Amino acid sequence: MNQLKTIRTRQTGQSARIDAEIEAILAGEEELLPSSGFLSVVMARIEQEAAAPPPVPFPWKLAVPGILMAAGVFGWGTIELIRLDLLTPASLEFTLPPLSSAVIGQIEQAGWVAVALGVSLLSWLLARRLAGRGGLL
Amino acid sequence: MNAAIRAEKDLADPDLKDVACVLAGDVAAFEGIVRRWQGPMVNMAWRYCRDRSRAEEMAQEAFLRAWLGLAHWRQESSFSTWLFALAANVYRSELKRFPTEMLPLDAAPEPAGPASQHSELAAKLSRETVRSAVLALPLRYREPVVLFYFHEMDVAAAAATLALPVGTLKARLSRARALLRQRFPRLEEECVSMEAAVIERGKEAVN
Repeated sequence: MNQLKTIRTRQTGQSARIDAEIEAILAGEEELLPSSGFLSVVMARIEQEAAAPPPVPFPWKLAVPGILMAAGVFGWGTIELIRLDLLTPASLEFTLPPLSSAVIGQIEQAGWVAVALGVSLLSWLLARRLAGRGGLL
Repeated sequence: MNAAIRAEKDLADPDLKDVACVLAGDVAAFEGIVRRWQGPMVNMAWRYCRDRSRAEEMAQEAFLRAWLGLAHWRQESSFSTWLFALAANVYRSELKRFPTEMLPLDAAPEPAGPASQHSELAAKLSRETVRSAVLALPLRYREPVVLFYFHEMDVAAAAATLALPVGTLKARLSRARALLRQRFPRLEEECVSMEAAVIERGKEAVN
């Protein structure tokens, strides 16, 4: 029992000495001096940042009414289509006039090109509308 | 706080005076802040990464963030507490983005017994190994150790920098010490033998 106590005391003493040594090593670190140009580099960065134009805030005032209107129109259109019974599978069926498959393919491709152009035009107009006042466009 | 007393305090404290000037639009007034705090900020960064050029880059970034964030400083704590807390956040995120290449703690070599003619060098290497081993600790233990010794063993200051309760910081320090102790079980006797060798060499040189 006494032997166990002695071993434990010795271990605690050893731990304390190792702790003290680690403490002495970590506390005794030499101070590092910043390089001579450090101050000027920091101030140059800050002056550069100060000279930069402020970031353009997102124009929520312009965007929110547009988003709400679009959502309203979309919702209203959906309700109207349901009310008029135009969204049933039967009403969506339509018959094409007799055309050759080559002509149909070309019309389909032209349709996709028109859709892509339309989407591009819309996004450009929207971006111009949103960011135009910030002087970006 | 009374506005007059606060204004008087602001004038007495150079940091508060410079902050007021910067907020009023005088960018050059920030130079005073950088001049006063560049040493501590670079040293703190150095303790995070142990790479001089990277420490300076990280300190630059911290000063830039401080300049950008001055308007949001609510003056609830001292300027130094706010600056160190901000710097700790910057350094932590910088090291997460680009971690320093460190050996795992288990791979950090325990210093071997020194050859007598190289005692001083061996002692220096031994100390550096222990300091490097701190960086190999898990982040939750590493930061308390780094900041505790950076703040000259002021637990309250280290806790304020990390926004942790003092008790939590003490517990993490204790765990970190236990990890380091496990890693360097023979440290004490080796350091004593190295110091003895250095003293012996000194005596020889005198004789």
